[in-house]
Amino acid sequence: MKIYDFTLAPNPRRLRIFVAEKGLKIPLEQVDIFAGENRTPEMLAKNPAGGLPILELDDGSHLAESVAICRYLEGLHPEPNLMGKDSREQAFIEMWNRRIELGLFAAAGRAFQHTNELFKGRLKQFPEFGATQRETVAQQLQWLDAQIGNKPFIAGDHFTIADITAEVAVDFATQMAGVKLDPALKNLARWHKAVSSRPSAKA
Amino acid sequence: MKIYEFTQAPNPRRVRVFLAEKGINVPYEQVNLFTADNRKPEFLKINPMGGLPVLELDDGTHIAESVAICRYFEEIKPEPRLMGVDAKDKAVVEMWNRRMEFEVLWNIANSFRHTSDFFKGRIPQVKEFGEVSRGAGLKRLEWLDTVLADREFIAGPRYTIADITALIGIDFGRTTGIKVEENQKNLARWYQAVSSRPSAKA
Repeated sequence: MKIYDFTLAPNPRRLRIFVAEKGLKIPLEQVDIFAGENRTPEMLAKNPAGGLPILELDDGSHLAESVAICRYLEGLHPEPNLMGKDSREQAFIEMWNRRIELGLFAAAGRAFQHTNELFKGRLKQFPEFGATQRETVAQQLQWLDAQIGNKPFIAGDHFTIADITAEVAVDFATQMAGVKLDPALKNLARWHKAVSSRPSAKA
Repeated sequence: MKIYEFTQAPNPRRVRVFLAEKGINVPYEQVNLFTADNRKPEFLKINPMGGLPVLELDDGTHIAESVAICRYFEEIKPEPRLMGVDAKDKAVVEMWNRRMEFEVLWNIANSFRHTSDFFKGRIPQVKEFGEVSRGAGLKRLEWLDTVLADREFIAGPRYTIADITALIGIDFGRTTGIKVEENQKNLARWYQAVSSRPSAKA
C-alpha cells in the first residue's frame, strides 16, 4: 500500500494527518503538482480527476478523494475513532466536515486559484472573484470562531476528521491564500493552537 | 422527526430520492428560498449555514448537509445499501459520490449561481466564471459517458448515492441548458435507467 502525495497541497495533508492520528505508517510517493506530474497519462489512469492524494492498494487498484481514503482506513482501523461510531455521531461529524469543506476550505482554495501566480495558465483566473473569495474566507473564520465557542473540538468532545479539515483549511487560508487570522477570534485561536500542537500536525 | 426543505432546490431532492429508495417516510416542511426564509434568524438557529435540507430529530437536534442526512438514514436502516457494502466499497462509493459532486453538480451549480437572475443580488456574481463552470460541467458529462461504458451504475454494479448526485446534477443543468446529448450513448442509457426508477419522482 502507498499514497501518492505532494507535501505542499492541502488535500494530501488532510490524509497525512488522518494517517498519523491513526498511528499508521503508509509509504508516500511524491508527485510534483508544480511540474504537472499529476496530469500525466500514467497518473490520470490512477485518478481520472487528476487530483491528489491517491491510495494505491496492495491489489494494484486505486482510491482517490481524501475523505473516501480516510473512510477506507477508518473501516480497517476503527480506533482511534475519527468519523463517528453510531448513526447520529457519524452524521454529525460528516455534517461538520462538509460545512468546513464547502465553506472555509472551498473559499480558500478558490481565493488561491484565482489570485496566485502558481495557477496562472492552469485555469482561467478571475482576480476579482478571487478577492470576493478572500472576503468569504474572512467571514467563514468569524463564523467558525462563533460556532466553536467553548467546545474543545469542531464536532464535539473529541478530535475528528472535521478538526483535520478545519486545521488544514485555516493553515491554507493564512499561509497560501493571503488571509490574516484576526487575533480577536479567541475561540478559533485556542482551538487552532490545540490541534496544531498535536504530533499529527507535523505530518 | 421532519425535514426542512424546498421542492425546487437540488440538494433537498438528493435526500428525497435517497429516502424513497430506502422506503422511509419523513414529513417535509417547506422553507421558501424565493423569499430567503432560509437566511432569517429563526432558521439560522436551526442551520447556521442557512442551507437546505435540514433533518430535525425527535430530540430537537438538527443535522444539516444532504450527504450527512443520508449517512444517518443509511446507518439506521442499512438495506437497501446505498453507500457501500463493505469497507472498500464504502470508500469507492464515497469517491464516486464526491467526484459527481465536484465534477458535475458543483460546475452546474456554479453556472447557475453566477448567471441566473435568482442569484442576482444574493451573491457577487461573476458571469464569466459561471460560463467557464458551465463549459467544465459539459466536459465532465462527456467524461462520465466514457466511465459508464464498462459499468451499469456510476460506482460499479450497484445503484448508489453517487447515481443520485449525478441525476440531480444533470437535471439541475436544465436551468443553464445542459442535458445529456444523444451521442452520449452510455450516459443516455444510465440516465434513462435512473430517471425511470420510482424514486426519481420524489
